[in-house]
Amino acid sequence: MTETERLALASLLYQLADDDFLYAYRGSEWLGLAPHIEEDVASSSIAQDSMGHAAMYYQLLEEIGEGKADALAHVRLAHERKNSVLVERVNGPGYYMENPEYDWAYAVVRNYCYTLAKKVRIDSLKKSSYTPLAALAVKVNMELYYHLLHWQTWFTQLYQSTETARQKMDAALERVLADFGDLFDYGEASELIDEMRLIEGQGILLDRWYQALTPVLVDLNVTLPEMKMTYNGRNGEHSPDLNDALSTLGEVYLLDQSAVW
Amino acid sequence: MTETFYQEFEVFSKRTPNAAFTHQFSLLAPNKEMALLMAQENFMRREPVVDIWVVKRADIRGMTPDEKLMLQRLDNKDYRTTKGYGYLKKKWRHYEQQMLDEKEIMSWQGGDSK
Repeated sequence: MTETERLALASLLYQLADDDFLYAYRGSEWLGLAPHIEEDVASSSIAQDSMGHAAMYYQLLEEIGEGKADALAHVRLAHERKNSVLVERVNGPGYYMENPEYDWAYAVVRNYCYTLAKKVRIDSLKKSSYTPLAALAVKVNMELYYHLLHWQTWFTQLYQSTETARQKMDAALERVLADFGDLFDYGEASELIDEMRLIEGQGILLDRWYQALTPVLVDLNVTLPEMKMTYNGRNGEHSPDLNDALSTLGEVYLLDQSAVW
Repeated sequence: MTETFYQEFEVFSKRTPNAAFTHQFSLLAPNKEMALLMAQENFMRREPVVDIWVVKRADIRGMTPDEKLMLQRLDNKDYRTTKGYGYLKKKWRHYEQQMLDEKEIMSWQGGDSK
């Protein structure tokens, strides 16, 4: 592997790692706040699973010489992060310790749309030319069945409940799609990522995502809003929400980076 | 609406394909699909299971304290059990351990062995 190829591989791994890392972090902020106690446990458990997936990707980055996994997760600055803007967005107004007015409809729509995209990517990664990544995808896939079923059930049930719920879901879907434009983007390294056959092309995966989502939306009589991109997270462009998240999640780690845990 | 939105479900699971279903816990959920999702992550996330049932508690016909009177019985049913034949095993062991000598074998022919 040439140095340019190694960098392209690292770029893809950062995208996958940072996606699951921020997704898990936003999920964990819901702890104690979810609509009922059983869902609180279940959704927190999914967040922990996802943190485990992020850790596996950071481990692969460590193995190709990018530095220690813990540091990769905690120390990198916002402009070095390659996650989609979708997963860095706050859960709603307020702070999880203080007056959280989190939006459950947004959580359900974001988690469903993201998990469906994650499933499409994982299925493609199972055939990656980089065998450690293909092996990782097989493992992650085992837990995705439940994650996807969980969020799809919430998604369809909330859409079918009351008129208020439907309005909130519609509003959430609009916000999620407004940030979805960079999800299947591979950023600046996309040509080489494609050439190296690390994962299939953006257009193919996006099509599969639409194909999987469309029958669910048709059943619910929902029209998919327009997909947009405000920032391209894959190139390190992010909303201010990411900075706040990083300072909170890195608070303890950054106190003393040489501490032994 | 709020009074009946959440319902109580009883959760059963089994550890191996051949095991019997065991009652685990109860939980609250608005319907059985959601109950199954909650059962999985709430009770099974730390131990392997091969199957889960959720049953709405309202669908279970339980017993009232009065009805439990039907469970009363006299404790004098020894004659209905095979407990009285417990000595048979010991008797068999006794015979199996006896030496098979010529005298013993000859005795089976029913002849006079004197």
